[in-house]
Amino acid sequence: MRLETFSYLPALSVGQLESQVRAILDHGLVVGIEYTTAPDSRDHYWTMWKLPLFGLADPAAVLAELDACRQANPGAFIKVNGYDRTRQGQVVSFVASRPAGED
Amino acid sequence: MFQAGVREYREIYWTPDYQPRDTDVLAAFRVVPQPEVAPEEAAAAVAAESSTGTWTSVWTDWLTTVERYQAHAYRLEPVPGRADQFIAYVAYPLELFEEGSVSSMMASITGNVFGFKAIRALRLEDLRIPVALVTTFQGPPAGIQVERDRLNKYGRPLLGATLKPKLGLSARNYGRACYELLAGGLDFTKDDENITSQPFMRWRDRYQFVMEAVGKAEQETGERKGHYLNVTAPDCELMLERAEFARELGSPIIMHDYLVGGFAAHTTLSKWCRRNGMLLHVHRALHAVVDRQKDHGIHFRVLAKWLRLAGGDHLHAGTVVGKLEGERETTLGVVDVLREDFVPANRARGLYFDQDWACLPAVLPAASGGIHVWHMPTLVEIFGDDSVLQFGGGSAGHPQGSRAGATANRVALEACVQARNEGRDLTAEGTQILRQAAAHSPELAAALDTWREIRFDFAAVDSPDVVPA
Repeated sequence: MRLETFSYLPALSVGQLESQVRAILDHGLVVGIEYTTAPDSRDHYWTMWKLPLFGLADPAAVLAELDACRQANPGAFIKVNGYDRTRQGQVVSFVASRPAGED
Repeated sequence: MFQAGVREYREIYWTPDYQPRDTDVLAAFRVVPQPEVAPEEAAAAVAAESSTGTWTSVWTDWLTTVERYQAHAYRLEPVPGRADQFIAYVAYPLELFEEGSVSSMMASITGNVFGFKAIRALRLEDLRIPVALVTTFQGPPAGIQVERDRLNKYGRPLLGATLKPKLGLSARNYGRACYELLAGGLDFTKDDENITSQPFMRWRDRYQFVMEAVGKAEQETGERKGHYLNVTAPDCELMLERAEFARELGSPIIMHDYLVGGFAAHTTLSKWCRRNGMLLHVHRALHAVVDRQKDHGIHFRVLAKWLRLAGGDHLHAGTVVGKLEGERETTLGVVDVLREDFVPANRARGLYFDQDWACLPAVLPAASGGIHVWHMPTLVEIFGDDSVLQFGGGSAGHPQGSRAGATANRVALEACVQARNEGRDLTAEGTQILRQAAAHSPELAAALDTWREIRFDFAAVDSPDVVPA
């Protein structure tokens, strides 16, 4: 199964993931993390992992939240979103983690 | 007492002291007058004949206040390197135009005056549409952000392809071509503009097979897909009948050729799309007839502004690098017009006026025509995320077929977006980025070998004038 942006590339390494998160933060976007065990292209509302990470500017802290989400939900697909307040919507979104065996 | 006779246009319509009002429609015309006609008189003639004036005084002028309704030619500007022509600025009062009507603007500003004998050639270069008039339009049925939200596609350009050959496939084979491309990784496929409802493939048959292909590709990939079903039709009743059938089949998007269909038909369709939650892809056949010659016609930036008012979610705007005309800065000016909320005047991009779109939604520029994987780094750099990149021949021409061609384009696109986000320079490192991505994609490797040497390096016919220092 393909899951939109970056799903035609090999799984992102930790370093590559950090670069993408840094790009989101550098654009002044707010990072949000969402997860689900049953991805469906018509499902716009995966479960939020906490509230969007308002005010958070350190990529390492985002990766730590991603890890915490993965630990708590080992069978889940986890998405990183970048919210743009001026456009009132997300402008970045990609699946950053898949369950083992789903690559 | 009424005095019959002919007065020079400049007595009334050449008003260099006029201060344009915020509510005026402002036009910049490139004017090539007949050699014996003075620039002020030629500019005044344009203002007169596109507003209240005619060739002679008439008694009925005395029943109204012409000065309230007249246009004003208020500025002349030389064109560097072209002694035979100049730019004339004309201001039109707001109340000359019907609310929500592109047709009204076209009939006045681009009417009789383009055939006027005293002028050898005339081109409408740009138009400033005042906010007061902008807000009488609803514009794009969805807009960029709503389209992304509906389709769940973020942080990258969208990918499409026009199905080829553009004429002669049966509906079932056409659906096959569509399925292969979408399953391979494209977001959209597209009817060529020539495809309406010919004997070899009637529109209902095409819609049904294509929507089966879209549904199957969605199921297999887990991604939203769509096909721009062309609803351009012989009349408006048939156009709407086609749109309604597309909706019944669950299509998220339809397509219209706006200049061929005309602005009245197009605006009707755009409003229908808004009412029915349908995206609208807009093709621009005929545009080069109107906009390509530098001295005469209507610049595409004006046709693009009119489209944003009438409504469309995608509009073809050139590729810069492909097989069709489109100089880089001029194309970027059009892209600004389609996407930005406020577009400042920028002569290097051919933009003569500030354009404030108030809260009108934005349009995705579509780049299509002779582009392939090698162009991907440049395309991502030029157009950014908010664009649709259409690889027709550049997908179906892949040595292993459409599905592999689509995958090659998708891999190349994602690799370029990833690299850009990492801070890499797509122009300088494009080749390296594509080669690295090809190491884990045999589809991309084959595509890179196939299109290595294809370039379209011809001088543009239409380019911005030398920018005044």
